[in-house]
Amino acid sequence: MKQVFQVHVRNSMGLHTRPATVIVKLLQDCKSNVLFTCKKETVNAKSILGILMLAATKNSKIIVTVDGGDAEETKVKLIEAFENKFWEELA
Amino acid sequence: MKLNAKEVHLTGAALCRGIAIGTPFFFTVIEDILPEFTLSKQEIEQEILRYSRAVNFCKKDIEKLRAQLEKEGILEGAAILEAHLQIMQDPLITTEIEKEIRRTQKNSEYVFQTAIKKYEKKFNAIRDPLFRERFKDIQDLSRRILGYLRNSVRIILTEVPPGSVVFAHELTTSDVAEACPDNIVAFITETGGETSHAAIVAKAKGIPFVSNIKVETLDPSKIQRVVVDGRTGGIILNPTSETEAYYLDLQKKLSYYFSALQKAASLAAETIDGYRVVLSANIDTPEELSISKKYGASGVGLLRSEYALLTREGLPDEETQLALYLQVVNQMQDKHVVIRTFDVGGDKLLVNFPQDNEAQTFLGCRAIRFLLKEREIFKTQLRAILRSNVYGNVRVLFPMISALSELEEAKSIMNEVTEELQEQGIEIPYSIPIGCMIEVPSAAIIADLLAQQCDFLSIGTNDLVQYSMAVDRGNQHLHGMYTQTDPSVIRLIKLIATEANHYGIPVSVCGEVAADPRFTPLLLGLGIHELSVSSRHIPMIKHAIRSTRIVEASLLAEKVLSLSTAQEIMELLMKEYQKNVPEDCFYNC
Repeated sequence: MKQVFQVHVRNSMGLHTRPATVIVKLLQDCKSNVLFTCKKETVNAKSILGILMLAATKNSKIIVTVDGGDAEETKVKLIEAFENKFWEELA
Repeated sequence: MKLNAKEVHLTGAALCRGIAIGTPFFFTVIEDILPEFTLSKQEIEQEILRYSRAVNFCKKDIEKLRAQLEKEGILEGAAILEAHLQIMQDPLITTEIEKEIRRTQKNSEYVFQTAIKKYEKKFNAIRDPLFRERFKDIQDLSRRILGYLRNSVRIILTEVPPGSVVFAHELTTSDVAEACPDNIVAFITETGGETSHAAIVAKAKGIPFVSNIKVETLDPSKIQRVVVDGRTGGIILNPTSETEAYYLDLQKKLSYYFSALQKAASLAAETIDGYRVVLSANIDTPEELSISKKYGASGVGLLRSEYALLTREGLPDEETQLALYLQVVNQMQDKHVVIRTFDVGGDKLLVNFPQDNEAQTFLGCRAIRFLLKEREIFKTQLRAILRSNVYGNVRVLFPMISALSELEEAKSIMNEVTEELQEQGIEIPYSIPIGCMIEVPSAAIIADLLAQQCDFLSIGTNDLVQYSMAVDRGNQHLHGMYTQTDPSVIRLIKLIATEANHYGIPVSVCGEVAADPRFTPLLLGLGIHELSVSSRHIPMIKHAIRSTRIVEASLLAEKVLSLSTAQEIMELLMKEYQKNVPEDCFYNC
């Protein structure tokens, strides 16, 4: 099953090392393939280095592609993380 | 993480004086280029295993460090290391590299390095500096991983943490040049002599340096603290708190002595009985001038023009050179500036100029020999020097003259260049003083002939000792044989000074001997008028001059000339110094 959706980077620092670490940890047990696309660059969302290379600052839009058996719940988890600014600052 | 390690005393060769206390940092200098080779099909799985083992070792290191930081309450640091741990598990570092090893059938160092370079490119392309900076984390990790793969990664000394005592097999001049004295408190190496250029640069930076220590036999994990006594060549691993307290106190005394010297630095360089000495500065870059001016240098006694060149890409053109010389000339105003033409070859390799091995030896094609062969390089430099003389008081010095014919040839090229400049309508002064560097015994022996053909002589004692004794100053097996107090060397200095004085031209000493205050009375007694030393030595040498009586100095010189061994001479000089400057705890120990 494939899910394609868009998320907003809302935290002030953008997808920096710590948010990237949160995402990677979140996806640790996820069986699906997860890709982030931003500014025409597509990377593996399970890779911190990949996420960092997007250089996604605050207000960036990211197209997320989740492909696999647990796509639905992965989508929910990711949206929650982005909406809550990765639990790093006050939402 | 304090272990109950035992205090260990080792003794090496003291290259740069000073006392330092710090934490060890092992600097493994290696080829920058990692090997690249193709694996057979059977070797691939083994190679992947080797790679993942390196990554695992690295993970364990970081996990240990992270736990330690957490325990010490440095949570921010711990969080960064946590991120490093995550990066270590990153598919780009793990599965992607494994895939690449399988695909390319190349060794892991090569595959890994190539991947890191690719990431570096990507990160460098990022505009946001905060993101671009993150590559440093990857770099940090990649060094560690490569270190485990090869036990050999070149780290540059600018990245060493503060308070480090750097251990290395050998250090190059540029290694030391990169070092920041705030971070690096001392150097300990296996090879390297007192007058190796690495040691000279360390001296200039005031970093204590001990060599002849078997660095490879030390276990980095068992050393927490190190005391370095650069006066005696002693190093103490894992000092007890009493030992450390003793050296801390000594450090305080030294710094008190140095600040007292600095306060007196603006006084005149004259002996107790009023004999004036020209005390100039040896400099490599214009940046050093501020210190030399602060200490009241009489001028620039030696501008080593090649140093500014060695760090550049390609040979600097005339305008670039002129700009550099003018930076010095303008700051010195009417004070003299002696520009030594490029002294390249020997241990000072010209990175951009391919030379065969023969040419790199001390007995090969270096200095004036190189310049007389590479006329265009020489002429370009002479043009820049002559043009800079319009704005100040410039003198030109030819390095490593070994025969009269070389001086004559250099002078005729100088005339050619002068004529060319005049034809082109470029303004230059009517004449420029020309000097010979006396650092080869053959030149010392014909000092009378040279003195009649030039305007001043400058004695380079480092090379003079090396060539007189036939001892490579960088060779650790010959440690102890390179002695600046050998009677042969003292007699040569005497000969040069006598001839220069006879023909009425100034003679200076600009080697390490000039910067050692124990030699000051001897040099003055031998008839030397001018000393040129690194700026930071000016206060100490000035103090030595001001503690000397010229009559006593002449008697001392006579006495030294009557002695027959280097050791006797050194002992006499030390005894005299102890008597005349008892307050110095830097040289008296």
